[in-house]
Amino acid sequence: MKIKKNTLVYLLVFVAFLAIPLALVTYKLTVLNYKMSDLIPAVSYNIDINMTVDGHGDDIEIRTFLPKSDTRQKITEETHISGGFEFDVRSDHLNRLAIWRAAAVQGKQSIRYSFVVQAQSVRFEIPDDLRVAKSYPESLNVYLQSEPGVPVHDPLIHEAIDKVLPSRDLPVLEILTRIHRYLQDELKNKNFSGYTDALTAYKLGEASCNGKGRLFVAMARTLNIPARSVSGLIMKAGDKRVSHQWVEIYINGYWVPFDTINDHFAKLPANFLTLYYGDKVLFHHSSNVNFKYMFSMSKKLVAKASLRENLDDSILNIANVYQAFEDIGISQNLLKIILMIPIGALVTVIFRNVIGLETFGTFLPALIASAARDTGLLWGSVGFVLVIVLTALIRRAMDGLQLLHSPKMAILLTVVVMIIFAATVISTNFGLTQLAHVSLFPIAILAITAERFAIFEQEHGLLKASKVTVATLVVVAAAYTVMESQFLQSMFLAFPELLFVLIALNLWLGRWIGMRVTEFFRFRKVIWQEAKA
Amino acid sequence: MMGLAWLKQGKRFVDASRKVLGMNQRNLEYVYPNNARSDFPIADNKLLTKQILSKAGVSVPETYISYSSFFEMRHLEQDLAAYDSFVIKPAQGSGGGGILVMSSKYKGGWKTLGGTPYTLEDIRKHIADIIFGVYSFGLSDIAIIEAKIEQHEALNQLSPFGLTDVRMIVCQHQPVLSMLRVPTQDSDGKANLHQGALGVGIDIQSGEATYATHFGEAITKHPDTGVSLQGFALPFWQDIVEMSIKTAMSVPLKYLGVDLVVSKDKPMVLEINVRPGIEIQNANMIGMRKILKAQATGAK
Repeated sequence: MKIKKNTLVYLLVFVAFLAIPLALVTYKLTVLNYKMSDLIPAVSYNIDINMTVDGHGDDIEIRTFLPKSDTRQKITEETHISGGFEFDVRSDHLNRLAIWRAAAVQGKQSIRYSFVVQAQSVRFEIPDDLRVAKSYPESLNVYLQSEPGVPVHDPLIHEAIDKVLPSRDLPVLEILTRIHRYLQDELKNKNFSGYTDALTAYKLGEASCNGKGRLFVAMARTLNIPARSVSGLIMKAGDKRVSHQWVEIYINGYWVPFDTINDHFAKLPANFLTLYYGDKVLFHHSSNVNFKYMFSMSKKLVAKASLRENLDDSILNIANVYQAFEDIGISQNLLKIILMIPIGALVTVIFRNVIGLETFGTFLPALIASAARDTGLLWGSVGFVLVIVLTALIRRAMDGLQLLHSPKMAILLTVVVMIIFAATVISTNFGLTQLAHVSLFPIAILAITAERFAIFEQEHGLLKASKVTVATLVVVAAAYTVMESQFLQSMFLAFPELLFVLIALNLWLGRWIGMRVTEFFRFRKVIWQEAKA
Repeated sequence: MMGLAWLKQGKRFVDASRKVLGMNQRNLEYVYPNNARSDFPIADNKLLTKQILSKAGVSVPETYISYSSFFEMRHLEQDLAAYDSFVIKPAQGSGGGGILVMSSKYKGGWKTLGGTPYTLEDIRKHIADIIFGVYSFGLSDIAIIEAKIEQHEALNQLSPFGLTDVRMIVCQHQPVLSMLRVPTQDSDGKANLHQGALGVGIDIQSGEATYATHFGEAITKHPDTGVSLQGFALPFWQDIVEMSIKTAMSVPLKYLGVDLVVSKDKPMVLEINVRPGIEIQNANMIGMRKILKAQATGAK
């Protein structure tokens, strides 16, 4: 068989685009000594503590705890904007206390403390046969004594212990398992942010995190097991005011975490941030200052610190590449978004040419999916549909005005901006912060989509335009899911040469002549007719 | 045993699907190899198509005037005064978008076949929209004003809601498949299958209707009028086939759809299409890939 010249070129390019990235990946893994565990970027959180006060001419003092780096969590990039306040940090062996002070404060003042957290999950194995220690180092005495809200050796605490434990002569593991199960399963979770002491929690049979924590500490200390409460944040992208409390139990020389709200037994997930130890209040502030606070958190991927140290100076060293981008102000997070767009385009191509769904434009679904990262898929779709529907209605209304095309489209663009503006203001007022992020939804992408929809609706009617909108949303959801895959993100960040593989796949799809899935349905009668013939 | 029977049926289905032409295969094996990208404008610009075809001696509707800028529209009233009926269409429109048919004059302007009045200003605005590229995915376009074709009496009874057209797919100068597109009330007078026009398969040899569909469902009668579609024979069929081949030979395109109308005394070519749709297979209940393959082997 004679192979045509352009087919030969096609085959060569196809093979080259598969071979080049394969060779580069092999080179990096063998010669450059890449370790896969180092390449997978770590999840980290950007956390802002935002505080505001209203001054009336008096002196103001605000205190709060700042997180410390330890073996489980790394705190970096700490910055603060303190305005007219004097800022000071006092550390002891456990906690870091931040203090802001200012004299004769007038009007509304705000303070922001920002930092980046990279934390890991931990899990402890408690030996089956380990018994409760008879004595402890003197430094641990404080963790066996009563304190406000935690009455050690109170008759009611003894009653609680008798109820939970069949006998006091049990291994540590069984004691803790029974107490943990009792607090997790028997004591109802109560969504109440106020203070609950150990006895109230026991008497009511329900408590929030701090009540359960105090009861746990009181029961453990009564059994001669050192215990302390820990306060912190459950990190999740978004804004929140709620902090969390769990406990640590001293076992065999280790402080082992327990959370009886989220059922973490001797373990802690990677999104728990420890702020401080001990039964203390998170914020202290002068009275009558209308103190308000909010934790604003965002999630991002960063290169593991170990990566840069373990690799040499080769030009192919990906750590150097990241650094080059960071030098010009492009973070690894933004780099990740950019690298994922071709994957979104590939997903769109598969949906269009293999499955046979019609969408607005080839790249639009991929772009919409990357834009929806700020808001999440649900709110991104809500924002998308909202803008499409409103602009379509307004375009309909403008039909009566007999306007020329270009000014009409300019009006639509203006309306898109107005909708985004209004959505942000309204949703912030109602506390719908996710929808407020629609403002970050790139305006250009929305405007292009709105125009495409407007023209499409004019040419093909509302029904067809709605069908294509739904198909576009389906493809957006698929592209979003694939683009959010941590595995693909890590692989493409570590080996950007894999983009060649995407080109190879598109080359293959570009020559694929099979029937689209929807065409089997569309021509099913003809096919059966032909099958009979 | 049941599972095996299903598997066999599935295999038969997949095998038979190879006789049907899908969109990917149409583009890769027929549209791209047979039509140079640089020749696409010949089909995409209807004004250019008409100029080439009339030079080659193929009948096309008479072009009264065309507008490519605002400035040219300043004598619109005088330009249109002589005509009781005319059609306005964008030179680069697709799927029948932007086409306006004026069928009679009244004191304020013109009326469509359905009786909707259009004043001179309405028409001016529509032409301006066309020039601005509203219907053509471009930045600008040309508006063509051409003669409204009176269709042959034989077609009037079958198609009282608008002009019926004949689509002929021609590959390597051989007619492949043909269908009649009959406007309905659903399709608003437009001969567009996706908007509800009827697709009537026509036998290439005899010019007779073989099969008909409406929104992809088989029918035997016109859904609005009840007129039977069975056994219908197109007038001037030999002329239609010859004119389609002549059209294909007068352009450098080797795979195209030729759209014709049958007027009182002869067929005329309305436009040509380099990416003719594949729905024609449903209207004929025939797989087009099978025919194209047979023609290719026959030619060698």
